[in-house]
This record gives sequence, structure tokens and C-alpha cells, in this order.
Amino acid sequence: MAFSSSAENAPSGLTDRSGSFFKLIDTFALEIGELKKEMVQTSPTTDKEPMELQGMESEVSGFYLQSHQCGGVGGERDSGYDSLRRRMSVLDRLNQTHPVWLLLAISEEEASRFLLKQPPGVFLVRKSAALQRKVLSVRLKQDHSDTPISHFPVKESQYTFSLEGSGISFADLFRLVAFYCISRDVLPFTIRLPEAIASAKTQKELEEVAQLGAGFWDSALCSQRRTSPRPRRPLSRTLSPQRTKRNGEVGGSQQRHTGSYCESAPPTLRSHAVPPSYNLERRHSSGPLCFVNPLFLQTHQHHHRHCAEDSPPHADKSSKHPENVGESSLKPLSSSKSSEQHTVNIKLNGKSRLPPPRPPPPRSMPRRRPAPPPPGPPAATTRPKTMPEAVAVATRQPQPPSKRPAPARPPSGAKHSSLTKGASSPMTVPLNPPPPRPQKPDMEAHRCHIAMDDETIARALSRAKLPACQPPPAVPTDVPLQNNAQSTSSPNERGHQRLSDMSMSTSSSDSLEYSQSPGFSLGLAPSPSQHRNHQEPVEDSSEEDEDGEEDEEEDYGVGLETDLEMRLRTSFKARRRKVGVSLGGGSFILPRALKGRFRKVSGMLSSLMTPERRAVKRIAELSRNKSSYFGSLVQDYISFVQENRGCHTSGMDFLQTLRQFMTQMKAYLRQSSELDPPIESLIPEDQIDQVLEKAMHKCVLKPLRTVVEVALHDFQVSSGALQQLRENLALAKAKRPQELGVDGAVPPDAVAIEKIRHKFLNMRTMYSPEKKVSLLLRVCKLIYTIMQDNSGRMYGADDFLPMLTYVLAQCDMPQLDTEIQYMMELLDPSLLQGEGGYYLTSAYGAMALIKNFQEEQAARVLSSEARNTLHQWHCRRTAQRSVPSVDDFQNYLRVALQELDTGCTAKTLVVHSYTTTEEVSSLCAYKFKIPDTENYALFLVTEDTSQQLAPDTHPQRIKSELLSRPRGQTFHFVYRRLPNLNLCMPIIMQNGNILQVE
Amino acid sequence: MAIRELKVCLLGDTGVGKSSIVCRFVQDHFDHNISPTIGASFLTKTVPCGHELHKFLIWDTAGQERFHSLAPMYYRGSAAAVIVYDITKLDSFQTLKRWVKELKEHGPEDIVVAIAGNKNDLGDIREVPMKEAKEFAESISAIFIETSARNAVNVEELFQKISKQIPPLENPEVDSNESFQLNRQPALSARRCC
Repeated sequence: MAFSSSAENAPSGLTDRSGSFFKLIDTFALEIGELKKEMVQTSPTTDKEPMELQGMESEVSGFYLQSHQCGGVGGERDSGYDSLRRRMSVLDRLNQTHPVWLLLAISEEEASRFLLKQPPGVFLVRKSAALQRKVLSVRLKQDHSDTPISHFPVKESQYTFSLEGSGISFADLFRLVAFYCISRDVLPFTIRLPEAIASAKTQKELEEVAQLGAGFWDSALCSQRRTSPRPRRPLSRTLSPQRTKRNGEVGGSQQRHTGSYCESAPPTLRSHAVPPSYNLERRHSSGPLCFVNPLFLQTHQHHHRHCAEDSPPHADKSSKHPENVGESSLKPLSSSKSSEQHTVNIKLNGKSRLPPPRPPPPRSMPRRRPAPPPPGPPAATTRPKTMPEAVAVATRQPQPPSKRPAPARPPSGAKHSSLTKGASSPMTVPLNPPPPRPQKPDMEAHRCHIAMDDETIARALSRAKLPACQPPPAVPTDVPLQNNAQSTSSPNERGHQRLSDMSMSTSSSDSLEYSQSPGFSLGLAPSPSQHRNHQEPVEDSSEEDEDGEEDEEEDYGVGLETDLEMRLRTSFKARRRKVGVSLGGGSFILPRALKGRFRKVSGMLSSLMTPERRAVKRIAELSRNKSSYFGSLVQDYISFVQENRGCHTSGMDFLQTLRQFMTQMKAYLRQSSELDPPIESLIPEDQIDQVLEKAMHKCVLKPLRTVVEVALHDFQVSSGALQQLRENLALAKAKRPQELGVDGAVPPDAVAIEKIRHKFLNMRTMYSPEKKVSLLLRVCKLIYTIMQDNSGRMYGADDFLPMLTYVLAQCDMPQLDTEIQYMMELLDPSLLQGEGGYYLTSAYGAMALIKNFQEEQAARVLSSEARNTLHQWHCRRTAQRSVPSVDDFQNYLRVALQELDTGCTAKTLVVHSYTTTEEVSSLCAYKFKIPDTENYALFLVTEDTSQQLAPDTHPQRIKSELLSRPRGQTFHFVYRRLPNLNLCMPIIMQNGNILQVE
Repeated sequence: MAIRELKVCLLGDTGVGKSSIVCRFVQDHFDHNISPTIGASFLTKTVPCGHELHKFLIWDTAGQERFHSLAPMYYRGSAAAVIVYDITKLDSFQTLKRWVKELKEHGPEDIVVAIAGNKNDLGDIREVPMKEAKEFAESISAIFIETSARNAVNVEELFQKISKQIPPLENPEVDSNESFQLNRQPALSARRCC
């Protein structure tokens, strides 16, 4: 994005008067830029349904042009005045400082102790042991002091988070908290960030706060701020002051605008204050609404399209508005604040000498108790020890690809730039900056940012109320809105609206959003692939792959018109059409009858995109980042498997190891703090496992699919099973249905068999066991359909299993055997009892019968071998139940052999943490077949250094030490010929004390 | 309310009405919230039981002899097994006895066994006296009930009895976190469910 890049380069200290004017313009430019992106988003929809949405499409393209222009203008302006937009949103602050307020592990007592010292409204989120769910613990006002702290349970529905009793739900905890910072909804008043967080002016300050973690609450920083007179920060401006003063719009507005520039001020918020009784009536809306910006964004578009003026004029106009006077008065204020900040900094620095945060991953240390020390090996446990060092902000430097948002930014940019803040959002930072599409991270980051910061919420609210056209968000409400033809409510009327009312009025459109442009819903954040589809021609091949897979699946589902899923999908399409129409008319009114249905559908639809996808993507990215612990485990394991598949005794053994690895990695991810923010804050508890499972498929199975396939086939061949299966298949295929036990029901004809074969072939191209299983279910469904069509009765297993056996025999696909094995061993154990597990079992049984057809014909007994298999399968499933450890899988070390003549070859070796360099060397000698081992040694090679390792050092520990460093440096273990025996003195290291690499 | 998934396996000769019983059970009081399954071999139904919801995952098996050897895969991990015989066919009762034996030997340890004498609407041509079957059931401390899938007699009751016999959750690991909170309820009340 032009915006962000210019933002980064720009000078950072512009705070004078003229600045505020440009700030405003800049803001508009940005808005337009975002809108532009939105538009690009929308067009895909029209692509898909050209017939239905033609009207929309033209509107859309019209708008696109227009906004493009504006964007250009904005871009010019932008270059000099980025600094104007450096305010950080509530959401940013929350994201940055979650180690402080997201304290899932602390007890109620501890939470109370923290909060008692805080002013009313300060909060934290923890997990209540009593309720077994997350609660928002809020410090109440003094006058309610019978219970100084109140705990509001967080409801986690299938895809969303909401406060108990509220109708508004959010995709993750951050958004939920952000929302309650600006609207009280079901709370007695709005919550507020601790002063030190709310008033932090730079990323760095936030980082410093974040590093304190739970320690923040006891820190001088925290208590000091508490005593400061009246918070004048932007945040608090929308908080209690206005709330308490119910009808004080005017006063409120004044106050508000001193806080920060008007763009950020949610105009309608202020006017939402309303007598509580009114709220009560409205509050109990029905099911959870995924209320949110998407809706607003849509309206937003409209507005722009319909309005006579395009944005620059708007900007001018609004800049003349009285409110901007207040705006420009920002300068003195902010400078005074910055001096305040200095004092804070000093305190902070003093503070930072206090006991360093507990062990490992700096940002998250307080939230989970004993961070994982990936069991066993000292290698893992030594890592934390060095972490404090990593924590020191001073040592952080720009680090190109980083999963840690903060260090990723150049210090100057980090200072203020809110433009880049999107990029800093942990959710969107690319772990591995993929060179092919340099822009993507930024776009997404941006999108994510617009998805919901406070102003967006506020605008959403105002928009929701005034769906037709109205001036751009930045224009304060008090600006005459009369030019808005469709707005029927006067500002005063609106003044009595509350957020929850808004959500009521938008409820239909919420669910609508899902269908409209899935990627948009605030919570159900942008589906990345979709965005990319239309914004950048360069597609991530991996995404593409997966999408392709999904598409294929759909295609194959066509045969089953009756599939529930398909039914839903079609009806959803139909609905979408209606929505499109109503949107075109600039109105959000939906036929009442549709509302309920929408809600139902939305659940299903949201499963198609949603945060889940985002989380999976982030884990996948992490897994590719070798400088992360998780990434190195996964990558090492993958290369180990690729090179050493021969070390398994059978295909099943192989698959079971894979399954075990995935289960262990899931356990690791749940414990570790490498995922930032913690997955608990993004995904409802009961969905986490599922999401992790999906992620593991992507991280592990996807890259290994072909390897696994080949390995399984090899085992099948070498064991003679393939030959046996072929022969028996041929025999079984020649049998009539009756001979296989089919009694009465009509078998599928050749055409149907061909169709089934096709599905099975397609199954082979997938890596996800779950997707394979769902395809198997479709096959079974098809078989049922054929059976039932011909008789109308319900068939149980007595009829189905023989029929399935017959069908599998007819398909004559020996490779199906390994497919079934793959599914059975790798499918998420929790799914094994369900429908998928049932039909998988049946398919396995049918295949086993076919495999032993001859024998069965003779003895009518399943071979003892097959019985054993069943037994083993049982074993592996029960073995699964014990909690796994990561122990086994961190024991890989990749070592390269460097030869003068032949270049490098690398192997992944099993190296335990207690394995010495000497042992590794001899292992290398063996693996690389080096005859003259005395001339070779193991080296640690970094970009510009190369050091021979002493025989008594432990390479695995060195590796974990290096990995734990804040700046992931690339390093390799190289086994190579000693240049000259006399020149090289081994470095002495003791007990894991590490050489300084830099 | 916590949902607890219970795998229930259906055993018995072919033609005794295993699937009819389950179809009857699942289809009566059809609940629109249940996600439909693709076929009648695997059916689910959720019933309230005390402070829990029991979601039965019902695994039908093929009764023919040739599929007998596959049975372990089906009853493995089951919380309960319903062994069905046809009161009009003595043979099917003999098969039942074999199943009981196999389950005792190879089945899950705490499996709840229920014996269902189906087709009790055909009392005229009964071959298995109720008394004999009942005594057999008592001897192995199994649930016993005679049902008629056709007339919907005792089908619901069969599963209610099973529900009652399922021990309340003690180990939170067995199920999701949700059910964990149930443990806060006195275990007693859970036992007295239904």
C-alpha cells in the first residue's frame, strides 16, 4: 500500500497546528483507500453472480473509479503527513498489551487484588475456575462498593464471543473488549484500559507495559498513573464521563474533541447515552448478532457512491467545521502529554530492572502458567533462561520477517505510525514474508485493522442508524445531515440511541453480511484467500491448492442434490440475491421472514470462512518460520520424514508416528505462547482443538502428502499386500451382489459406479483426512440414495455393509486400501465415534473382507492378520488418550555435509539434547559415509561466522538457545572437513553455556 | 447442559429388527435440530438425562455371519451394546448368547449390555419365552426389555434404561470441558436421572 509505505518513511514528529488539518485530510484519504479495497472485495461477489447482481456491479465499478481518484489525492497528501494518523486504536492497544489484561490463569483473588487498586472501569479477562469459562472482571464504581469487582461471564458460542446477556457477539476477545471500551451495552458502564495503556503514545511504551505482563498491576507504573488527575486520553473520552452525563451531548462533545482529533471520535456514541430503562427493553435481542462493521462498510460504500461530493471536498468541508477548532487545539495537549510520557518512560525503565518477567516467550509469559517447557530435554528448558535478554526492548531491532509484531517495525515507524499499525497487528503479520507478494501482508493488515478499531465501531453504529447517505465518518454528527435524503432521524433522535439499539436495528443485515461478502464481517474477519484473489494476481500456491480442493469437492457433490449442504448452499444463494437488491436500493430492510433463516444459515456459512481460517493460516505460517520453536520442530520433523521414511516397519507404524506428532504439536501449541495473541482469545474454547487439528493438517500433512503416499504404496508392495489385494479384488469383482451378501436392495449400475470411482480418485488428491472422510460420506450417501430410491425403505447395516463391499469391489481400486488406512490413522481421534468414523470403519471392514476374499470363501473367517490389524488399530486409538509430549519431536537436527567438490547435502538426524557434538559427528560420519572421520568436524555456521563445536558441547542445546533469541538468526550445523587441523581451536563451552554468535 | 456422546453398538442376527428399533427410536418425536445422518446404519439421537444430555451415536452392525469378524471394530469404545433377538426365532436368541460371551471377553470393560427381544407384537408365534430371556439377562446383569419396533412399544424405554445405567461422568477428560462443569452438581443427582 502506498499509504503505509509512505507512512513508514515519513518524519515522525509533526504535531503543530497545521498538522491537524492535514491529519484530517490524511484520515479521509485513508478511509477512501480502505473503501477502495472494499470495493475490490465486493466485485468478486458480482463475478460469481453476474445475472443477479448486475445493478450492483455497475454501481460498484462506478464507485471504484471514483474512489480510486480520491485515493490518489490522498496518496499525495499522505506522503508528508502520515504522522497525523499515528493515534493507536483501542484494538491496537489491546493487541499489544494482552499480556497485561488477558490473564487466563489468574485466580479470582488475584484479579480482585489487581483491580481493587484501579479506578472504576479497569478490567481484565481471566478464566474463572468456578464457571469454567472466561470472565471479564471489572472494577466497579466506589458507590457500588458492596461488590467492588464484578465478573461478567463471556459466552463462547460456536464461532463467537459475547458477554452473557448481550446480543452482540464478536469474533474474538480483543474485539469484544474493544467494543466494551466504547459502549457499555450490558455493563453498568464502559470499561477502560489501565491508564498507562490508554495513554501510551508509542508502540514502544506499549511494549514496555506488555512486558510487565501480570506484573504490571503491581508495578509502579500502574499505581502511579492511577493517581493522576483526570484522564484526558482519547479513550476515556467516550467512557464514563459521557455515560454518566446522560443528556449532556453538548458538553460531551466539547470534551470529546479535546481528546483527539475528530475522526476518531465516534459521534453517535456520545449520543447513545440513554436512560437505562430504555436499554433494558432493547437489550434482550434474540440470538447473538454478529454485529459489525461489514454492514457498516457496505453502507459506507453506498454513501460514497451516492453522495454528490467525493471525499476531498468532504475533507475540506469538514475541516471548516467548528469541531475542527477543537481538533487543532490538540497540539498543546499532545505535547504536554508527550512530556508526561517521558516521565512514564523513566519510570518504566526503572521498573524494568525489577525481577525480569518469568521465562520464555516474552509477550505472553503471565497468561499460561508453566509454559510448556517442552518436556524433558534441558534443551527446551534452557531456552527460557535466555529470554529475559530477549525481552529488553532496547535490543530489539528491525527484523524483517517476524511473528512478533513489534520488533518488525523500524523504530521510527514504531514510534507512532498508526498506518503501519495494521501490520503490527499480530493476527496479520506474515511470518514468512513471502517474496512473491510483498504487498499482501500490508493489505491484510490493513483490512484487519479496519475490521474493527474503535472508530470503526463508532462509525458502524452511526451508519447503522443512518443507512442511506451521509457524510463521511469523520464528520461529526453535529454537522448538518439534512443533505441526507433518506435519513429520517434528526440528530437529536439519534441522540437517544444506544449501541444495543443499533445492533438491533442491524440484526438482519448482520447475518446478511455473511452471505454478502463473507470476508467482511468484522468478526469473521476477511477470508484471506478471497482478498488475495482479487487484489493480487499472485496467489499463494498453498492456498490455491486448498481452495482448489474445496472446489473440487463441491463439484463432486453435485451428484447429490439432496445433500443438506448443497441445499443450504443454494438457498443461501437465493437469499443473497435478495440482499443484493436491497443493498442496491440503499436500504437494509430485509423481509422479516428471512431474518430467522438467516440466523440459521449464518452459522453454517461462517464455518466457511471466519477467524478459524485466519487462525489456521497463522499457525501454518508459524510452522514455516524456522526461527520459531514450533516452526523448527515442524520443519525438522518434515525433513526427517522425507529422508527417513525407511525407518518405519509398516505403513501403519509410519502413519501412527505422524498422528502422534500432530497430536503432540497440538498439545504444544495449546501450552506454548508462541502464538501471539493466544488462540484462546481468537477461537472459542470448544473449537480450539478443531482449529489446531486443521492447522496441523496444513502444516504437516500437506507438505508430506506425496511422501506418505509413496511410502504407503511401497509398504503395500513390499509386504505383498498389494498383490494379494489385486487378486482378491479381481475375484470379488466377478461376483454378483448376492454372492457378497446383498439381499434385496438394488445395487448401483455401471454409471453410478463410475461416479463413485471418480470421487475416490478425487479423494486421493487431498491431504486432509477430514476432507477425505467427507468425500467417503458422499459416496456412502450416494449408495444409500440408490438403494432407497429403488425401494423406499430405510436400510441398516445388514444391507448397507454388503452393498458397500460390492461397490468397493466393483470400483477395483487397490489404492483405496492405503487411502482408508491414511484416514483411519490420521483422522482426528475425536471424530472416530461419529458418522465419519462409522463409515470409515465400514469401509475398512469391507476392504478387509475383500482383501481376504479367497480365504474367506474357503474358511469364512477373517484372517488372523486382519484381526491383528483391527487390534492394533484399537491400540493406537487408546494410546492417543494419554497426554502426549513434545519430547520425541524436538530431537531432530539438520546437519549439512559440505564437501569442497560436491557442495552441500543435508540430512536430518535424531539428536537428543544430551547428545554431544562428538556423538553427532560420528553419526554424521556414518550417515554421510565419511571414511576419514578424523579430518571432519561439526561447525556452527551463521551468516558471517563459523565455529567449530567442541566435542563435549550439545548441538541440540545450542540450537534451542539460538532459536530462543529474539532476533532469529539463520544458522546451520555443518559437518565438514577441517581446513587445517592446527589452526582451529575448538571453542570451549560448559553445560550449555553458549558461545556468543554475533 | 452438557452433551455427552455415547457410542452404542447394535448387535444381533440379521433380520431381527436392529435397525427398525433404532429407526423408531430416532424418528419418533423427530427433532428438527438433529443433524440428519446419511443413512440408517449410523443414527444419532440426543435425550436429556438428569443434568446431562446423552447423545447416542448408534452404530449398527451387519448381522450376517460373514461380517461377524468385523464386529470388534464396531463395539470397540462403545458405552453400551444393544443385543437384539427376535422372540419368534430361537436361533437369534442363541446368537445373542454368543454375542454376550464375546462382549464379556473382548468388549470394553464397563460396557452396558441391553438385551432386547424384538417383535413382541408377534406373541402368537413366540419361540423364546420371556421368562427364559429375562433370567438369562439377570444372570449377566444386563438390561432386559421386550420391544416392538413396529408398534413402537418399549423402544424409548430401552434407551432410557441404558441412559440410567451409564455412570455419570467422573473423569473430565472423557468428555469436553463443558461437561466438566456438571461435575459441580452432586454426582448423586446425576445418577438418579430420568
